Amino acid sequence: MRTPLLLTTSSLLFYLLLIGPFAGYLQNRPFIERIGYVPSFKVLKLVAADHKEVTASFLVMKVLMYFGGLIELTQNEVAVAPDYPAMSRLIHNAVELDPYNMDAYYFAQAILSWDVGRVDLANKLLDHGMQYRTWDWQLPYFAGFNHAYFLKDYATASRYYQRAGELSGFDLYKNLAGRYMQEAGRTELAIRYLSTLEQGEKNLAIKKSYQLRLIAFQEVQRIEVARDEYQKKFGRLPASIDQLVQEGLLTPPVDPYGGNFYLQPDGKVATTSKFAFATKEGSEPAQK
Amino acid sequence: MTSMISVTLKGIFRDRVFQGILMTALIFLLIPTVSLLSMRQVTELSITLALSLNSLIFLLLSVFLGGTMLWKDIERRYSYGVLGLPMTRSSYLAGKFAGVALFFLLTAIVLGAATFVVVFFASSLYPPERPVQWEIIALCLFFDVMKYVLLVAIAFLFSTLSTSFFLPVFGTIAIFLAGGATQQVYDYIHSTAGDTLTPLVKQAASGLYYLLPNFSAFDLKVNAIYGLSTSFSGLLLTIGYFLLYTTFILSLAALIFSRREMR
Repeated sequence: MRTPLLLTTSSLLFYLLLIGPFAGYLQNRPFIERIGYVPSFKVLKLVAADHKEVTASFLVMKVLMYFGGLIELTQNEVAVAPDYPAMSRLIHNAVELDPYNMDAYYFAQAILSWDVGRVDLANKLLDHGMQYRTWDWQLPYFAGFNHAYFLKDYATASRYYQRAGELSGFDLYKNLAGRYMQEAGRTELAIRYLSTLEQGEKNLAIKKSYQLRLIAFQEVQRIEVARDEYQKKFGRLPASIDQLVQEGLLTPPVDPYGGNFYLQPDGKVATTSKFAFATKEGSEPAQK
Repeated sequence: MTSMISVTLKGIFRDRVFQGILMTALIFLLIPTVSLLSMRQVTELSITLALSLNSLIFLLLSVFLGGTMLWKDIERRYSYGVLGLPMTRSSYLAGKFAGVALFFLLTAIVLGAATFVVVFFASSLYPPERPVQWEIIALCLFFDVMKYVLLVAIAFLFSTLSTSFFLPVFGTIAIFLAGGATQQVYDYIHSTAGDTLTPLVKQAASGLYYLLPNFSAFDLKVNAIYGLSTSFSGLLLTIGYFLLYTTFILSLAALIFSRREMR
């Protein structure tokens, strides 16, 4: 009787001592270790049996949780290089398992086009989704935005917006590409697009990422307004942002991604962060 | 045979299998909360999780209830007493199977009701872009039951082959995995990617495709989750496939069982 009691008490005590460091170890493992080895979608399709949709949802959730953790770290000013290739690989696996999974397309659009700068990959995924989600206006709306804003391919953007308008019943979308065809309208296009998404977003991590990007673009817009005022006043483009600050046309802008804004020779506003958190050097997102 | 069905059902309830299912079904309560993690498809995720939970419960039932039903009777020497009665071994087997199938139907009604409540709740919190197609969800549950009843028939067949606990349980799991993959393997070998395979491998894979049960036909989850329409003729063909395949497997099991020596 004494031995089992002693064993139970001592094992419980040691367990309580161990569980803290154990949980800490698991939480701090790198993303790729934390998700473990995820086999190719071909293997997953075979072993998932009749649970393909739920497996796809879990893959997307894993990525979301990792991304949520990143946003939290950034807020606490901890610099962590996001593992975009691993995230991209999981998203691709998810859409192969369940080509109807909207969360996967939505996340891919939010991250691949903005943070990774791989609009081509995002568009490829959106086109893949449109083959299945034939009723969904959001996919052509995203693709339209990508073509108008990032690629400046207004003819293709018009086609996608036309499709989004037909599916949603909103004529507004049909006119979007035309309205923002001018270079001057690009920042406004981005702000409107991000505001719409931010307002409808309930996932806190994604919402936070939209808010950060919105702040960045609002800062860009402030600089653009000041630059135009300067040009009107002096008849030439300012040499730098500091000049705008010195003239009292602008309070110093802050890039929420940690970069510094600057003016390109043609007057365009740019930032050293490229509106994204620093990525791992040489990392490339997975392709299909 | 009616009495055998009734005895089987009573036995299942006596073993508290139903209470076990109800315990597992408590996970349904978590589904609306987990579904909120989705960014753009809360209702769709709730349907996905509910249907997957149903499938998991049915899989466990098929493997452990179907795989151990005959084995347990033989181990307890209960079969010897029953088989002494004026009843053929085939009737005994058919009665046992019908009892399990009936229990599956009953479970499906209870789990189906839980699914409907959970999905209704999730869809009222975050109304989906497209209305929920309740009839397709019900259809999906019905076809899921058919699939797992067919798996029970396979578990019975394995039970008649061996008195061991392991063959029916592991054999059923292996057939479940293989049956879910046959269609993909068949599609692969008949695509351009399959051109690299040798004719022998192709023929063997085609042979297995026709021999093994094709469970992918019973999987209507994607239709239920995203409200996609189903093919009426396809569903009729699947029902016909279920009836013929199950009858064949059960009659084969009865044939083996009636020739088996009971010691």
